Amino acid sequence: MIRVLFFGPVAERMKLREMEIVFQAGMRLQDVVSQLQASHPEAFEIVCFTAVNDTQVRDTQQPLADNDEIAFMAKFSGG
Amino acid sequence: MNDAVRIQQQDFSQDEEVAALKASSKRIGGIATFIGCARDFSEGRNVSEISFEAYGSMALAEMRKLREEAIAKFGLLDARIVHRVTTVRAGDNIVFIAAGAEHRAAAFDACRWLIDELKQRVPIWKKEITPQGESWVTPHP
Repeated sequence: MIRVLFFGPVAERMKLREMEIVFQAGMRLQDVVSQLQASHPEAFEIVCFTAVNDTQVRDTQQPLADNDEIAFMAKFSGG
Repeated sequence: MNDAVRIQQQDFSQDEEVAALKASSKRIGGIATFIGCARDFSEGRNVSEISFEAYGSMALAEMRKLREEAIAKFGLLDARIVHRVTTVRAGDNIVFIAAGAEHRAAAFDACRWLIDELKQRVPIWKKEITPQGESWVTPHP
């Protein structure tokens, strides 16, 4: 399974904080992005950063592995 | 002593953090600190409370990286970063940064760099709670 996390303003628009997606061999980050962008366009409007296993990822062609954790995040506003 | 980089709900003590920084090296000749605290007014509205949310594991990892980078970039002897993730009211502390160096210039520069980078790179979000409702904060420059 792929664990997908949402925080703050993205979680509010998704109306959930976490979901699981079935892992399939050959899966890439873009597959998850496309799927969620289509189902939750209003949440993905404000997604600025994506992380896989705690590390920010810019290349959505990155291959995924089973049990990966993906986070879709809005612009940060800490401090 | 507490870790030099922490995310916590409870308030921090500037005195304790500075004492810990000083204890790390007797070569420190200058310490610059920054405290970010909650304001009661923002974007033309009264703010009752500010609520923070973090991607804890990534935020902590990124803050640790920031500390290591600052030590290398500015030749610091030590640095500490503490960020609260909880709900705060006006005047409450939010974030603490301390940079210790042999001389003041590096300490000042590193302290400014650390808070600026933290705002850009650490996955923490704040929501302002006002009498008119709640809203997530759009980052300031």
